[in-house]
Amino acid sequence: MTEARMGAQDLIIRGAHVLDPGSSLDGIMDVRLSAGRITEVGEGLRGVRTLDAGGLHLFPGFVDVHAHWRTPGREDEETIETGSAAAAAGGFTSVVMMPNTDPVVDKPVVVSGLVRRIERESRVRAYVSAALHEGLEGKRLTEMRLLKEAGTFCVSDDGLGTQSAGVLKNGMLYARSAGLPVILHCEDHTLATGVVHDGVAAALAGLPGSPGSAEDVATAMALVLATETGAKVHVTHVSTALSAALVSFFKGRGDITADTTPHHLTLTDELVSTLEGLYRVNPPLRPDEDRISVGDALASGILDFVATDHAPHAASEKELPLEEATPGFLGQETAFSALYTDLVHSGKLSLSRLIETMASAPGRWVGEAGGASGACGITPGAPADLALVDLSGEWTVRADALVSRSSNSPYLERRLKGRVVGTMVGGEMVYDGIGVKFGARA
Amino acid sequence: MLTRNFLTLEGVSREELRDVLDLARVHAAGHGGLSLAGRTVCLAFFEASTRTAVSFELAARRAGADVISISEKGSAIQKGESLIDTVVTLDALGADAIVIRHPSVGAARLAARYTDAAVVNAGDGRGQHPTQALLDLHALSIAVGSFDDLSGQKVAVVGDVLHSRVARSVIPAFQAAGMEVALVAPETLLPGESEAWGLPILPSVDDAIDWGADILYALRLQNERMTGDSPRVPSVAEYARYYGVARRHLRDGVLVMHPGPVNRGVEISGDVVLSDSSLIPAQVASGVAVRSAVLAFATGVAQKAAA
Repeated sequence: MTEARMGAQDLIIRGAHVLDPGSSLDGIMDVRLSAGRITEVGEGLRGVRTLDAGGLHLFPGFVDVHAHWRTPGREDEETIETGSAAAAAGGFTSVVMMPNTDPVVDKPVVVSGLVRRIERESRVRAYVSAALHEGLEGKRLTEMRLLKEAGTFCVSDDGLGTQSAGVLKNGMLYARSAGLPVILHCEDHTLATGVVHDGVAAALAGLPGSPGSAEDVATAMALVLATETGAKVHVTHVSTALSAALVSFFKGRGDITADTTPHHLTLTDELVSTLEGLYRVNPPLRPDEDRISVGDALASGILDFVATDHAPHAASEKELPLEEATPGFLGQETAFSALYTDLVHSGKLSLSRLIETMASAPGRWVGEAGGASGACGITPGAPADLALVDLSGEWTVRADALVSRSSNSPYLERRLKGRVVGTMVGGEMVYDGIGVKFGARA
Repeated sequence: MLTRNFLTLEGVSREELRDVLDLARVHAAGHGGLSLAGRTVCLAFFEASTRTAVSFELAARRAGADVISISEKGSAIQKGESLIDTVVTLDALGADAIVIRHPSVGAARLAARYTDAAVVNAGDGRGQHPTQALLDLHALSIAVGSFDDLSGQKVAVVGDVLHSRVARSVIPAFQAAGMEVALVAPETLLPGESEAWGLPILPSVDDAIDWGADILYALRLQNERMTGDSPRVPSVAEYARYYGVARRHLRDGVLVMHPGPVNRGVEISGDVVLSDSSLIPAQVASGVAVRSAVLAFATGVAQKAAA
């Protein structure tokens, strides 16, 4: 490093336990940031500005390929500003915004409007997913190539899914020509007629159930078509053992990746016996056998990464009988802590694999899809997108302390281990949970 | 291969193309004494057609042939048996050549098994349209100088390759003439195994220009591909932006072709259709001479040198 580049603006993050599976880093070391990028990783780094991170862990910033920031149309539930602040509070530095807004993100003008607003309002890197079909209706293709020119990053009919195989295949083929990845919410509406998983809790409570097959047949269809078309396909929020097994079978036959959510990894359908509208979500919380199988699939690499499906809802849409409540959970602020508490702390998932699935793997997916250019992870040249975490910290999830504009977290009042204390995007502090002080050191 | 029948251009040779085009050129110039007097040409059109039917009829009549024209509507005739019965009937009436247009691939080939008359395929489903490709080569040869000058020219075939019988004839015809061919289409308008042609597949007409295309051959996009429940292209605006031929593509003497009828503003912008770069009128004008030559070979009036 030359003297000229070792300028006064350099920041040394000192003494953190750096863990980045993508760069094979795992140990206490210093990281130098310069002009928004990581420029050096090593021991005994010196500089004018330092951040003493002793006792903390430093991870690559988390990447969420599935979030609903409700903009445009439901800014009472979330905005780009509040959604990105919630993401930052959860250690996320890159987020993909889903298109089931009002209006639906299916026109180039909506995309370009969102791109401009992201530049002004978002604390983290945000990418726009447009609809695969106009109005998410599964009929007319969107103008994917014009959408891409306007700044679209990927396409998805998330929230509804595409029901007809012929329509979905046509969409995958066109998306391939447009050079856009397709994110698939797999749900067969002729089977998904209930409000919770069609299991023991539903039977005892008398709640209409949607069986696992509603997800499985749609997942199978999507994977068959992905294989045949060669489209870049990402299956989101896998929640059943069979769907995970299907992903395993089809992986390598096509350009296929898949994620699951923190809530499907940590919660089960027992919660619906409370009859609380809060616990309605789609896909529904599944029995423990599914939760365990999905967790095993994440641990073994069958599922590539975690995505939150962060879905803010107004209290008026959740404080209802379960059958009338709108499905969806907040996820961004609790994702790391919930997974650390339930999976890592209990020894079911390694911390390294958790970081791989929250940062490295989704980061690679975003990179391949044309997102944040260049290297990612904690490596010289990569953007300084970082999460600083206190693994020994504990916190209680409280509605009034959530950064999101909504408060429909399924972890409300839960005590969680592991706390995000700082988040940096391009070297800038976008979340400061402990009043970070940059010390001056000669 | 072109034998007495003209069923397909798949596998056609450079010499075969040259024979037909040479005769067409001599005939078009008004000498050569090509006469079909005493020959009976039957036109059997099982599918609506305007320019091809008229062009064949003129080609036959101007060369002095007797012409029988039948066009039957409805689905009854689309059954293989009705096709065969029709062909057998025309054969019994003494046809020397039967020109068939049919909505199903292979209809002309099937018909050829049931008649001693020569069968000329005037378009079968998504299969072949050999005389279209021959007249295209005729018009293009004149535009670039001669048949031999086609060699080395680069042509981009743009649009709905999947549903196009014209594409399946012009691709082998252009290749046999020594031309380099690329395809420009979204995956929704290509067959599942579009790699079978071994041709480059380019994402837009702009890319075709970058590839060095000398000729842009636009295919017709049928309306049902743009409308209906799940159309194969999202909008005319998007199609025209990436797969439409526009004035900006015309620099460096690029030529534009289209088998017609043109959707102006879709495959080709309105100001290009009749521009100096457009061969579209020349293509139509080539039809009569080329089809006269084809009928002359089919009825045995002319002999192929290369045969």
